[in-house]
This record gives sequence, structure tokens and C-alpha cells, in this order.
Amino acid sequence: MGLRVQPGVIGCAIRPVIAARNRSLEEIIYDTAQLALADAGIGIDDIDGIVVASNDQFDGRSISVMMASGPVGGVDRDIMSTPSASEHAFILGALRVGSGQFRTQLIVSWSPTEVSSMSEAQRLGADPYFHRALPLDELSAHALQASALENAQPAARAAAEAIAEKNRAHGRVAWPDPPLHPAPGPMRWPITPTMTSAPVTGSVALVLAAPDFIAERGLRDVAWLRGMGWATEPSFLGDRDLSVAPALAAAARQAYAAAGIADPATAFDVAEMTDATPYSELLAYEALSLCPPQDWAARTADGSFSRGGRLPVNLSGGVLTWNPVFCTGLIRIAEIANQVRGRAGPHQVPNARCGLAHAGSGFAMQYQAAVVLAQEARP
Amino acid sequence: MSTDRVGIIGIGQSEFRSRRDDASYPELVREGVLRAMLDAGLDFDAIEAVVYSLSPDAMVGIGNAERLGVDAVGGRNKPFLRINNGGATGISAVAAAYYHVASGMFDVVLTAGADKIGECGDSQTVLNKIWDPSYERPLPLGTINMLAMSAVRYMQRYGMTEQDMARVTVKNRRQAALNPKAHLRKIVTIDDVMASRTISWPIKLLDCCPQSSGGAAMVLASERFIRDNHLDAVWITGVGHSAETYWMGDRMGNNPTAEHANAYALGRSFEKSYRMAGITDPARQVHVAELYAPFSNTEFHAIDAAQLVARPGESIARLRDGEFELGGRIPVNPSGGTLCTNAIAVTAMARVAEVALQVWGRAGDHQVTGARLGIASGNGGDHQIFGTMVIEA
Repeated sequence: MGLRVQPGVIGCAIRPVIAARNRSLEEIIYDTAQLALADAGIGIDDIDGIVVASNDQFDGRSISVMMASGPVGGVDRDIMSTPSASEHAFILGALRVGSGQFRTQLIVSWSPTEVSSMSEAQRLGADPYFHRALPLDELSAHALQASALENAQPAARAAAEAIAEKNRAHGRVAWPDPPLHPAPGPMRWPITPTMTSAPVTGSVALVLAAPDFIAERGLRDVAWLRGMGWATEPSFLGDRDLSVAPALAAAARQAYAAAGIADPATAFDVAEMTDATPYSELLAYEALSLCPPQDWAARTADGSFSRGGRLPVNLSGGVLTWNPVFCTGLIRIAEIANQVRGRAGPHQVPNARCGLAHAGSGFAMQYQAAVVLAQEARP
Repeated sequence: MSTDRVGIIGIGQSEFRSRRDDASYPELVREGVLRAMLDAGLDFDAIEAVVYSLSPDAMVGIGNAERLGVDAVGGRNKPFLRINNGGATGISAVAAAYYHVASGMFDVVLTAGADKIGECGDSQTVLNKIWDPSYERPLPLGTINMLAMSAVRYMQRYGMTEQDMARVTVKNRRQAALNPKAHLRKIVTIDDVMASRTISWPIKLLDCCPQSSGGAAMVLASERFIRDNHLDAVWITGVGHSAETYWMGDRMGNNPTAEHANAYALGRSFEKSYRMAGITDPARQVHVAELYAPFSNTEFHAIDAAQLVARPGESIARLRDGEFELGGRIPVNPSGGTLCTNAIAVTAMARVAEVALQVWGRAGDHQVTGARLGIASGNGGDHQIFGTMVIEA
């Protein structure tokens, strides 16, 4: 890929739902960072730099990176934060290792639910003159997108219903003994409660390392970063055609070019997508060149994207199973890292050699990212 | 694939004022961006990625306000992410843009942002919310009394007086008077500072930075792109970050993890930047410094941390001697610095931009003669997260 130094993911801690009521947010973040380091088999002294991502409104703090610097080991260490999206922390960490100036990076994101109204916290992110008064929250924006997609692609409704059923079925495998049952989410027409899930507290951490560090430590189970791309759409919904995802298409072009992928539809053994709603997953199928709209009905009906299908998508159960709102994008990347590392647990795909993670966030998926991870450093 | 060095090829700063009623938030971002693009002589098509510089959302009153700036920076369908390291955000955003290019993935990257601190109502109300809601927020802490506590400790340890603090303001205002971009440009005297009302002892009104509204942007490029397109540039040769504990109480008392009088992590960050740039004797090798100091007292420990003096506290005497004035040994904050202009999201970017202009020989009336190597810093959070850079011609 285009980076001077190719990073590999050497450790992950995926905690999409945290039921412990006796842990403060600081302790949750500490636990997650420590779990990722333990998974990598290294200690905090091995970490050169840290990138965190969080949302001030959800955290109830003006600069939420401040509180986290201690729990993630940031004191006397290089730490930065990307509050735009959790997946952006991974991207910046990869760029830092890719520059050759860092051997390791710890990436951490979290999403609490103590805020009195998640919807109101999100509404503060809307433009104050035009959108905020609608009122608009992220689910409303997703609903507008779903409506636009149903209008443009009549097959979208049935396909979306099939995806919702698929991902919840995957979730039951991935979480055979769930501490909590996923709660149906709120609804905004045309999104029904079974097409979303209620926000939960969660966190996620990854450890990235350079090849010389990986070789020096004799680390195995590495998910090598083959390619990544990210892009944004404008913020005004009125300036966008919500029935397509051009920023994700742009991100995919970057990632595929770096990874040398010519035929995405056959390149991957497993994929994770930010299914904030099943319509988000449908849009991703198209923008990632995995399945054109005319094939949505057939492919969702024949199980192509289900366990055992041509390209299993969201074997973790996706966001429709657990929805720690802000860090869902980074969780998708960590899930794919664990799949190609052979550490995905009950939902592991046998010998997943190459995987694709899609991360989307913001109003109607304004921010989009695509990440290709593989067992082998080179094709 | 680009070569190793990363250059600065375009700089844009808006007008900084208490209010910018003439420009909406995205328009203010755009103002800095257009000036940087004109300075670089590039079309927006040349920009491959954007790093957005924005500190607390609450200052703008919009959650994830960077989303509203996407079109202002020409970011549609391009790689785009935001940095927030508090007051250090501006230099951290330049650093993030630097890593974009240094990684070899991009040749040309824009970093930009803006803030409307002057129009946010009361920045200290927002900044109180940076502290833990249970323990330190209710004191109530703000960034002024936080750094007043640092001043008291610096006085006790090193003998700084209120007049010494006033000397910093006098110096920086005199220098800001030469900088048309600066917000506060009125020359003041020590007596003026001493007579100004106490905000949080020993910090008085004229020891404080203003609440500014304005924007800034910079264009960074790979050495290969700069060479192939015959562009003029200055070079980022050192980059560092370091952080201290979040807890104010852990920086004071009998066994502080990092003494609050000093700027421990700023020093650590400078050590990294100097090591990367191959600087072994900063006091002799640095020609100009733009050090983030929003209150007059904090310029002293920033000079100490940058090792522009032999030992902590020596900055007081050297400043009295005029060593850090324009025309002195190492001019510090020749632009007037943060003390005269503070639009938080881009304040630390302005430190980098001003040093870049200095080593480029394009600083105008506040040019440091013969400056070829300069340093910049940014402080964020509760004097907690620090970023530093070395810029060379």
C-alpha cells in the first residue's frame, strides 16, 4: 500500500456492550486498553503513541481526551484525539506507524450512555439554523436516507428486512450467552424497531505495530493493513443525494488501489459493515462494489452475505446487535482484524485470509471509511 | 512515493477580532483556507486530504462542528478527519497533516480551522467543563485560576514577580503592534498591566489573552511534490507531543507527578522534537520561538521547557535583560503570541505558521533578522497535552 511502513494489528479488545455498573468510564477505558495490550502480548511501556476518539457531547466533557489520557497510559506519552469518528483514530494511528516515526500505536474509543438524551446530544451536531429545529438526530437522518433509498431502489425494503434478520441471527451466534438481550431501537419511518438497536455503553481498543517490532517480538496472529481509504460528504443533507454513498465509493477506491484489489466482489473472505440501519449496509454493498442494487433482492434472499455464504457480512451481529454509537466504526475494523487473526470467537470464519471493514458515522453516514486487513502482509 | 521531508508551502490567517459578525463559522474557516491556497498557488484539486483543526465543540455551540466545515475546506469526498487536543489542537492538526504526508500516502494535505471564541458567550464556562464533573469541576476551576496556581508556584520557586509577568505583556503587545493579524495591538506599559483589575491573583486583565474569532490554514507537501512543481517551502524537521496527568491535584501538593509551576510534558515534547531535528543546544541553535502562552506567567515556563535558558527560572532574568524581544538573542512570540490573539482552535497552528513565516523571511514588520530555525509549541487541556515543532528554512 501507499504507506512507507506497513502496520499490522497485533492486539484487539472489542467490548460492544459493557454491563458492569460498578465501573466508571475511566475504569472502562483502562480495562479496554489493558485488554488490547494483553491480547498483543505487550505492555504500555512498548507503546510509542496513542490516538483516542470520543464524543464530547456523549461524555459530558468539553475535551474528552483529557480524562482518558491517564486510563490509556497517555501520561508522559504522545497522545492525540480524533473526535470526528472512532475509525479516524485507527487511520491516524496507521499513518503514524506508516510514517516510520512510531513503532507502535494504541487506538482506543468509547461510547457511554449516561447522557440524559442521546437524541438531544446528537441534535446539537445539527446546523443550528436549518437542521437543528427539524429536529434532527442521527436516526432521523438515517430514516431520511432509508426513505430516499426506498424511493430510488424499490427492492431496498425487502432487502433491508432480510439484512436485519440476517444480522440479528449472526448476533445470536456471536453472543450465545448474552449478558443483555439487544433491545430494539427507536423507530423513525420507514425504519422499524427491529432495524435498529438501542444505544449501549461500549468501548474498543487496537494495537498497531510496525513490521520490525512485530519481527523483533516474534508476534503471530497479525492482521496486516493492506489498504485504507476514508472520505466525507458535506454536512447539509439537502446538498446530498442520500440514495448513494459517494464518499464511501471514494474511500473504497483508495483502499482497493492500495491493496491491489481489482475485483472486490471476490476478494474478501469476510466483511463487517456499519449497519446503523440495514439501509446503511445496502448502500455499502453498492459503494464497496460488492453487489449492485439490481442484485440486492437476490443476494439477500439467497444468503450470499450470511454465515456460510459467498461473503459473510457482519458475523459479529453488527450494530443491529450491539450499538455503542460512537465507537461502532472502530469495532468493525477490530472485528475484521480478529477474523484474519483467527481470534473472532464463536463467529470466526474458517481461515479468513482477507477481510474488509466498513466504518460509517455521522448524519446519514457523512463520514465513510474502508479498511482492508489480511493474514499475509502482501498479496 | 514521496521522499522523507515534509514542507510547508502555504499559510493563511484570517483577521482576528473580538467579533467577526461579518463571517459565519464556515466562512471564517474559508477565509484562512483561501489565503493559504492563494499562498500555495494551488487549486483545490491538488489537495488530497484535509485535517480539520477544532478544539471544544462547545465553543462553537455545535456538536462535531467540523462537519459544517467540510465544504469550506473543499473536503467533499476527500479524506477528512478532525483533531482535538484542546489548546494544542492547532499544532496537533499540523502534526497530523505532517503524518499524512510523511506516511507516503499523500503529497499535498490541507489543515484548517477556525474558532469564534469572542462570540461563544463565556469561554471560561465552557472550559470549566473540561474537568472531572465530580471532583475538580465544582471548585470551580477555569483555565485562568488553573494557571494562576501555576504562577503562584512559579513565584515561590523561582522568584517571579507581578512586574516580571507584566514585562511579558509589554513585550508581546509591542511586538503585536507590528503584526497586522494580531488581535490586541495596543502598546501598554508595566504600570498599565499592574493597574488592570485582578482576574485571579496574580493574573490581571492585561496578563490574559483575548477571546478571539478567526481562522487559519496551512498547506503541507512532500519534498518530491515541492521539487517537481518548483515550489518554495520551509521544512518541518521536528515533531513531538507529550502529556501530563489530567488531575490538577496530582500536580500540586507534596509529591506532584509533574510540578505545576513548570511545564514538564512541554519539556518532554521539545526533547522529542529536538532529537528528531538533530538539535543539541537549543539556546544556541534556535533563532526564533513562538511559544503558546495564553497568560503572561506561562511564557516563562515555556521558555524554560524549550531549553532556551540553562535552568528553570532563568527565563525571568533573561527576559528582564531583553533577550526574548525582537532584536534580542532569541525573540519569543514576535507575532505577539497567544497573549495577543487566541482563537483556540487555530492558536497553536498560528504558532507554527508564524515560525514558518519567520524562517521563510516573510514575517513582515515583525521579522526576526536572519531567522533560519524556529520552534513552536501548543498547550492543551488543563495545561496537560503539549505539541512542539521545529521549522527550518
